[in-house]
Amino acid sequence: MSRRAASFVLGFALALLVGGGLWWWLAGRPQAGRGRGAAGAAAQPAQKVTFQLFFPADGGTLKPEPRELQVSDSPRDRMRKILDALLVGPKAAGLARPLPEGVMVGGVLLGKDGTAYVDLRWPGHEEPPPGGSTEEIQRVYSVVDSLTLNVPEAQRVVLLWNGVQRDTFSGHLDLSRPLVPDRTRAGS
Amino acid sequence: MTDRRIWALLPLLCLLLPMLVAAQGGPGQAPAAPAPARPTVVLEGREIAVPVTLAGNGPMFGLTPLAEALGGTLSTDASGESVTLKVADKEVVIGQGNAIITVGDAIVSLSQPPVQGEGGLQVPLDFLRKSFGDLLGYSFDWRPETQRLTIARRGTRELAVSLDVVHLQGMTTIVLTFPEEPRYKINRQGTTIQVQMLADRLTPPPPKEIQDPLVQGATIDPGQIRLQLAEGAQAESYVLEKPFRLVFDVHKTASVETPSSPSAPAARPGGIHTIVIDPGHGGVEVGAIGPSGIQEKELTLQLARELEARLAQRLPVRVVLTRTEDALVPLDMRPAIANQNKADLFVSIHLNSSLGSGAYGTETYFLSPQATDTRASSSAAAENRTAAAGTAATSDAANPAGADDTQDLQLILWDLAQTHHLAESQRLANMIQGELNEMLQLKDRGVKQAPFRVLMGATMPAVLVELGFISNPDEEKKLKDPAYRGQLVDALARAIARYKALVENQPEPAATPGASPQTTPPAGTPAPGQTPAAKPPGTPGKPAKVGRPA
Repeated sequence: MSRRAASFVLGFALALLVGGGLWWWLAGRPQAGRGRGAAGAAAQPAQKVTFQLFFPADGGTLKPEPRELQVSDSPRDRMRKILDALLVGPKAAGLARPLPEGVMVGGVLLGKDGTAYVDLRWPGHEEPPPGGSTEEIQRVYSVVDSLTLNVPEAQRVVLLWNGVQRDTFSGHLDLSRPLVPDRTRAGS
Repeated sequence: MTDRRIWALLPLLCLLLPMLVAAQGGPGQAPAAPAPARPTVVLEGREIAVPVTLAGNGPMFGLTPLAEALGGTLSTDASGESVTLKVADKEVVIGQGNAIITVGDAIVSLSQPPVQGEGGLQVPLDFLRKSFGDLLGYSFDWRPETQRLTIARRGTRELAVSLDVVHLQGMTTIVLTFPEEPRYKINRQGTTIQVQMLADRLTPPPPKEIQDPLVQGATIDPGQIRLQLAEGAQAESYVLEKPFRLVFDVHKTASVETPSSPSAPAARPGGIHTIVIDPGHGGVEVGAIGPSGIQEKELTLQLARELEARLAQRLPVRVVLTRTEDALVPLDMRPAIANQNKADLFVSIHLNSSLGSGAYGTETYFLSPQATDTRASSSAAAENRTAAAGTAATSDAANPAGADDTQDLQLILWDLAQTHHLAESQRLANMIQGELNEMLQLKDRGVKQAPFRVLMGATMPAVLVELGFISNPDEEKKLKDPAYRGQLVDALARAIARYKALVENQPEPAATPGASPQTTPPAGTPAPGQTPAAKPPGTPGKPAKVGRPA
């Protein structure tokens, strides 16, 4: 009886272990047909496209840097990828990051009228970075020009900081209205 | 023997049972948790079938059945990127996975992004309140303990409305003030505008006779407001908050005021008597910071005080500073101070900084009036001001003057005001830049245009001068030197004196050789020759460059 009981306890424990492991594996596995991803899982095929990203350059200018990005046909996907690449920063010497490290894209929306809404978020920082007018122009138009000159559907840009549209970022540019691209700001 | 078989089967059953549970449950579902009450949605006492997902940040509701039940139409754009919900006469644009939506012209931040889920797009509770709630007058009451969403029509409100009509600078502004935001729809037919109440009733004010060149009449009934514009007039609408105001800017169709209007006045009659100097930044807004740690706000205040003293010595003018100490003066308050003082010139003094290296020199800006939808953006800004109310980050933006909310209306009008003075602003900018170039032999970064907020509200020639880059170690060192600052101040005072003489048709003070006004008009501004205050003939020297920021 004691041997039988011991065999039973051992078998039971083993079964629990195996069964639990199997359950954990099954529950964690993605299941086809159980709803779509949070982002809507755009089914469009990705492709490599070269964009011109505008980065702050020496002398207070903006300079384009070509960047090959894997994007779909979706304008919002393109805008998002362009912004992410901008925030990572330039590859070439003499160019600078437009925004401080840690700034991220909170959201991108493209209205039917061609107005792109870009929400920039900087965790732990309520205010945008301070600076002079040229610095603010470089920061803002780096985003505006990179989006509008690469994504034709985006004709003007509204910038938000931490989800809120502000009168200005650093005390100069009026950001209470959509900004249109200005090719003259780029040194090209 | 039978007992042994049963004992042997038990481990097998233990093995199979969890597998069966796992196969039934979805990812992340607790297999053994007691089934909670089924979420329900009840509209006016009747349960409707709406998929509800209980997410960590709150419940999400299927939009399609709600739109069908409440009265809204959904469409997806060609790219599949965004979904548009049309409610009343407004469009709500939703991007999947994006916490920002637009409701009409307003931008709204949601607590969590709409996502694809059971039955299509699912939206959070605040989406429902901002769309169907605000636009159609439904209330949404979610009870977590019963997992029940109750939707009901808010009762009909009686709202007392007041009507004001103001004519200023060729434009009429109609302001309808409500005690709280009504639910309305705007219909337009020709020169008739109807503000139709969707669920509220209006208490009309006493009848008022309107004598206005652009507005023929206004009638207010409990169910609607009718505005009759004059022939050839058109109106743009926007809203202001606290209290809720529906505003119509009425102007002539054929003579929409543009910066290139040749009728732009050259200067105020009577010459230059009052000059407002604006030391940039102040208080918690430090501005640019130099390598040694010196802050822009300190130097701009010193320069402004020195310029005030220099102008007082040199010219019979009254000089007003927008700040005389290290204090935060909201951006919109600065031109407001100039307007309130009936200033004839507005000069904002700044020091520059740049990303990257190698930037140095001076530049002078005047306003770039961009071809954008000012009214829509004003509306959007109003919405955001409301959304941001109560947050320290935007308290200044919400009420920049810290004064009466009616100032919002004035600020909107001031946006247009500076466009009347672009030609003269450019002329002043050219003179300042020319003096800076020649007196100091600094790098000429030129006269430029930018949509600078501080210049927008000024109803007089207004410029922003960047007197050097404190991000550049060499220039920062020079800017800390009182003698160098004295030279900068001299150049500014000389340019202002020359401009004053020009406007007043008096003999111009001797220009620094080469400090000539530039005559090439930038885009969107009238040629100087089109204005009464023409370029003085035969002024020698090279002109300042004109361009946009590079």
